[in-house]
Amino acid sequence: MQDVQRKIREEAKNLLAAGRVDLIIGFEEASLPLRASPVFIHNEDDLDMLVWNSFCENNLATYLTKVVGRKVAVVAKGCDSRSIVALIVEGQIKREEIIVIGIPCRGMVDRRKIEKEVEGEILEAGEKNGEVLVKGDDFEGVFKKEDYLYPSCRTCKYRNPVISDILIGEKIKENTEVDEYAEVKEYEKKSIDERREYFGREMGKCIRCYACRQACPMCYCEECFVDSSHPKWIEKGLDSSDLTIWHIMRAYHQAGRCVDCGSCERACPMEINLRFLTKKINKEVKDYFNFETGLDIKVAPALATFSPDDRQDFIDSGEEPAGESQGKTKL
Amino acid sequence: MKKISKKGMNEFIQSLMADYIILAPASTDGIFSFKPVSNFEQIDLSYQNSKKPPKEVFFPQSETMFNYKNGKVESTEKVKQKKILLGIRPCDARANILLDKVFAGPDHKDVYYTNKRENTIIIGLGCSKSLSTCFCTSFGGGPFSKEGLDILLMDIGDKYLAQVITDKGREVLNHKFREATREEVRLAEKIKSEAEKRISSRVEIEGIKEKLDRMFEDLFWNKLSQECIGCGTCSYLCPTCHCFDIADEAVNSEGKRVRNWDSCMFPLFTLHTSGHNPRPTGKERMRQRVMHKFNYFVENYKEPACVGCGRCIINCPVNMDIRKVLKEILEV
Amino acid sequence: MKEREPKILAFLCNWCSYAGADLAGVSRIQYPPNVRVIRVPCSSRINPFFIVKALQQGIDGVLVAGCHPGDCHYISGNYVARRKFAIIKSFLEYIGIEKDRVQFTWISAAEGLRFAEVIKEVTEKVRHLGPIRKPVKIRRG
Repeated sequence: MQDVQRKIREEAKNLLAAGRVDLIIGFEEASLPLRASPVFIHNEDDLDMLVWNSFCENNLATYLTKVVGRKVAVVAKGCDSRSIVALIVEGQIKREEIIVIGIPCRGMVDRRKIEKEVEGEILEAGEKNGEVLVKGDDFEGVFKKEDYLYPSCRTCKYRNPVISDILIGEKIKENTEVDEYAEVKEYEKKSIDERREYFGREMGKCIRCYACRQACPMCYCEECFVDSSHPKWIEKGLDSSDLTIWHIMRAYHQAGRCVDCGSCERACPMEINLRFLTKKINKEVKDYFNFETGLDIKVAPALATFSPDDRQDFIDSGEEPAGESQGKTKL
Repeated sequence: MKKISKKGMNEFIQSLMADYIILAPASTDGIFSFKPVSNFEQIDLSYQNSKKPPKEVFFPQSETMFNYKNGKVESTEKVKQKKILLGIRPCDARANILLDKVFAGPDHKDVYYTNKRENTIIIGLGCSKSLSTCFCTSFGGGPFSKEGLDILLMDIGDKYLAQVITDKGREVLNHKFREATREEVRLAEKIKSEAEKRISSRVEIEGIKEKLDRMFEDLFWNKLSQECIGCGTCSYLCPTCHCFDIADEAVNSEGKRVRNWDSCMFPLFTLHTSGHNPRPTGKERMRQRVMHKFNYFVENYKEPACVGCGRCIINCPVNMDIRKVLKEILEV
Repeated sequence: MKEREPKILAFLCNWCSYAGADLAGVSRIQYPPNVRVIRVPCSSRINPFFIVKALQQGIDGVLVAGCHPGDCHYISGNYVARRKFAIIKSFLEYIGIEKDRVQFTWISAAEGLRFAEVIKEVTEKVRHLGPIRKPVKIRRG
């Protein structure tokens, strides 16, 4: 980690000195333990603020659509780099205007999970040799980092950046064995009433702060559908119907675009299980169209293209004669 | 100063349930909020603080102001049952006083707010164990401050001490409360001063307003707003933020008028019908947030609109820290 | 008390499915009156939001019908739509909306009889599910 951090600062220095960029987006030390804070560096004096650790949980690609037109270098983990590819594919940023400082990532620490393990406030945290060490007023704790990764990190299949101008550190072995949709499959087995109840209950926690939307690099619309008044799709309050539709449509708009970085879930102050929606969307996109977001700069997003041979087993194509189709629709 | 055993407190609250709706901290999946409770078991007073501020008792996030059908209007301003807000922290209680300046000021009274305020008794719980993100003492508050409370409870281990602050509070106490002994009062004093010393996070606010008077066009705001992603977490979780939006939800001639929380961090906040937006980017909106809390509010009401509860710091997805901001303002 | 009749909303593409419905009408083929038709130029005009919004307003079942693949008047509209429908259908089912409430099908301009059959089938399926409850918006507060 320290080594990577040093190299990030070196590369950033070279980029600024050579005038290749005028802005570096990275992470600095946070004012709270178990966190790192996104930082915008404009000049060489501030380079020592850059850090790299297992608390760098934000997806910095979300800033790229806000700094269009400037020469920017951005620090990107595996998932972040896929978001960058997705943004390039959708024409939101130009490849030549950004420099990607790619960092192979073994996962970020789930601070909420660690916080639940201790009694009292964590005042200090650090990491060493794959362990996270925390200290409070009257306690200390050591946690194996591997056991306390974010859910999205545990099933991550793209730890190495798929795109980078500068790669810091050695590439690491990808985790190809994990079934990233295991939880979705478990959930699908539940009855419809259970599913409806869980969905309603989770979404009922929402306070419409839009932290999920703002943290997501793919939510870059200048006018989000929630702000549309002509047509007015949903109201702005906490009506349960509006809350559920807000989440249904936000997840749906991520089809073929979500890289499962987990930023939405991490940003949510109410700790809503947001990924259970986007994970399903990603699974369907993979099953139906064999597409995963952000892997290839030359491939169009799944819902922006089509094939005449697409699966249509969900459609009643009406090939059977009328009499026999009663109650036998292939839906 | 009165006292009551923890068991007596259970019984006291149970007896109140006959006449009042009790709103107390209860946890759902680890997140605390003030919920109506029907049973003392549901209350968890060992909580630090609620995720959403208790201002939502008086100023709900989504409030139907009135329903209408075919020209007939039914307002919802009448309060159906008195409430007791139990276990609120002194910072949040102080925030309600700040909100009163806006919603219950001498010139305008928001009847939806004031009706709820008048019909709620507030029993606060002092903080013997504050968080590192608490900085209430920098803003005129404290872990055992009495502002905005009818009764202040102090947990001294096996019992609670109760300081009655207002007549409203006095009326609701029952015979289970005894007079506290001198030792118990001294213990309370000790706990109080230790708690105040424990607040390690200090923010200098002297001179902030005057500095901000001169900073409107400063490049400081460009720099500050860069990392902010523009969500509404800080405003929605802030006990003093009070901006709102009113909308009609109707089909033909039947519907309702709803008041919802709004946030100055959202792009639509000052969007005009013409399409012009005086706060088009994050920079103007971040400036607005800081100026409103530490300059305009001070100008209008003589106090900054912050109570040092720390919720914005804990919950910001990108770790924007208002304490750092205030320090940097003084350094500009 | 008799349960109310299910309300079905059918989005029909102008060139094929709407023409099919028209043929059913002209041929005096009976089909349940529960369906309300919205004519769109092409099935790809359907924003999944329309479906969700219809459910929110209290529509018990939504049917979207387009031209058979290969027959789209606009060449590839129904192919584009097919991808959208695949995702929205399985997603709505996942979050607890019964799968028979939202149905997609291809109906050609010549399939008047089939249109009537489809409507009958959809109406029966939705009637069996009962009136929709979630995510309907309650208008009184």
